[in-house]
Amino acid sequence: MKTKFDLPGIKKLLLRRPADTESLDASAAPARALFGPTPETAVAEKGSSLVDFLKQVTLFEDLGRRDLRRLARIVHERDYHDGEYIFQEGKPGATFFVLRRGLIEVVREGSSGTEVPLAMLEPPASFEESAAMGAESVRWFSARARGPVSLLTLGKSDLDALSVNFPLLANKVLMRLAGIMAIRFRMLLDAQYLKESEKPQETDQ
Amino acid sequence: MTLADTSSRAGVVFKSLAAAAGVVLGAYLVWGLRSLIVPATVGGLLAYICRPLVARLERSRVPRGVAIVLLLLVFVLAALVIVNRIRAVMPSDADALELRIRALYTLNHRYEALMGLDRPLTRGNRIYRLMHDDLDPLLDRVGQLLALTPEERAQFVASRPRGAHDAPAGSDRLVEYERANVETLERRARAALAEPATKSAPRSLAASAPTPAAQTPLAALGDILSTWIIAPLMFLFLLRDTGEIKRGLLRAVPNRLFEPALNVLADLDRALGDYVRGLFLECCLLGLTVVLLLTLIGVPLQWAIAIGIFTGATNVIPYMGFAAALLSGLAYALLAEDIRPPLPMVSSENFVIWVIVAVALAELLKNVVYEPIVLGGAVNLHPLVVVIGVLGGAVLFGLVGMLLAVPTITVVKVLVSSTARQLKAYGLI
Repeated sequence: MKTKFDLPGIKKLLLRRPADTESLDASAAPARALFGPTPETAVAEKGSSLVDFLKQVTLFEDLGRRDLRRLARIVHERDYHDGEYIFQEGKPGATFFVLRRGLIEVVREGSSGTEVPLAMLEPPASFEESAAMGAESVRWFSARARGPVSLLTLGKSDLDALSVNFPLLANKVLMRLAGIMAIRFRMLLDAQYLKESEKPQETDQ
Repeated sequence: MTLADTSSRAGVVFKSLAAAAGVVLGAYLVWGLRSLIVPATVGGLLAYICRPLVARLERSRVPRGVAIVLLLLVFVLAALVIVNRIRAVMPSDADALELRIRALYTLNHRYEALMGLDRPLTRGNRIYRLMHDDLDPLLDRVGQLLALTPEERAQFVASRPRGAHDAPAGSDRLVEYERANVETLERRARAALAEPATKSAPRSLAASAPTPAAQTPLAALGDILSTWIIAPLMFLFLLRDTGEIKRGLLRAVPNRLFEPALNVLADLDRALGDYVRGLFLECCLLGLTVVLLLTLIGVPLQWAIAIGIFTGATNVIPYMGFAAALLSGLAYALLAEDIRPPLPMVSSENFVIWVIVAVALAELLKNVVYEPIVLGGAVNLHPLVVVIGVLGGAVLFGLVGMLLAVPTITVVKVLVSSTARQLKAYGLI
């Protein structure tokens, strides 16, 4: 079986700062590990069918065409206009998202009450997997559409129904969700470790 | 007042009027189409119960369409078998007359024995003195239903072997029963005349009750088919749906309400699913219990199964299963002549009491064991709410209202509580 999550490779991609990150808060680097694939991994998705698009999403790339068709029957498609919040910090979460078209700004309220930009997501990034896994989660960041955005969402209730009707498919999806969450958690720890190990060097200088 | 304020107020008024018009239109449609509610609900509920079956077949690589057609075929076959069975046990005209004669004879005989009535039927034991004002009119009404008209009597006499009617006593039991019935009815009529006029009034009123207009069997079948054709359609379309209805509903919801709406729909689905599946299981268990207990006290298996199915089916309406089991059990007890119970303490004299005990035990098991285990918290409604709901439903929509009262109350309760909870959690109220 090919390795889906080559940690160093993904880490390099996820923790790399895009060119326009001057405005991003420098302390937010570990947080960026928690969000979806970067432009390098994004696949151009123009006018393809929902099943074709799902096939390009890392989460679902293992699934066969029949399973993808079943999945396409239960995902919800939502459209957002520029500046509209997909969800807001502090509110409960019950769905996870896959970005299909457009850009999403991930922000968090700083200690002074100002908005701290954390990441910019591009298709086919997925985020908030823990909400769909059934974790009683309260969202710790906000996601906002930058321009017109099209998203696919899958709720915990949808996954519950999938588990009853198609347990094998649900199992595959849940395993992938758990795998992605585990990788992100390790990257977060890694990033935190890197950040702390850089501190003494800065002090020395 | 600014122009913006005026326009905003006009908008609110317009929306309120549109909502009120929508509610009125919805209520009018529900009232106008109430005859379709039961078939549509039956089709919908069957689809709901069958959804896991279709998914199971689909998992076994049977295409969804084929799986649905297979299920529909199974239902049609089951319906045909049931109709054939019912037709097979339906008595012919002559059998029906014999059944009525036997039922009336047993009823009169057991009533007289239980009440300790004297020959002119005017004096009885303490139970009779206590209850005869209520029971006598009821017995009269049942007697009028069962008694043969002169034409029916002539038909019955003609159906007996030649000379049976003039044969000596004991040679034809049914002829003897019929004679006894006529005699008892005459005695009851004399006893009624001897009573004060106020007491006998209801009896004469009952006798002159108008009969409903007759309808040909073909017209009745046409009526049933035209209404019930919606049930298989509903069943097919709901099973064919793979989430389009839910997604269509959610598509109409604004983005900020999407997640709360998804959660509310999930709560509704869970509550309704728990209720429907729980009720289905409870009806099956109650039916089986009634079959088992009635067989134990000596009801033949085929009659016990018939009463069990009837009880299970009517248990869909709260408290109706108990009433159905009791009435059909007592009806059998009145009709039965030779009872051979496996239990030694049951005899034909105390058979009625044992039927009541069996039905009460089944109801007790349902309330104490089945309902808490099978239905659990699916319908967490106060009994008073259930009673008022069922009675209110009966007053407004008749049988349909009784049937749908509890699921409707459950859905409304979950809808209101879940919506309030979600809106609060998302800071929308």
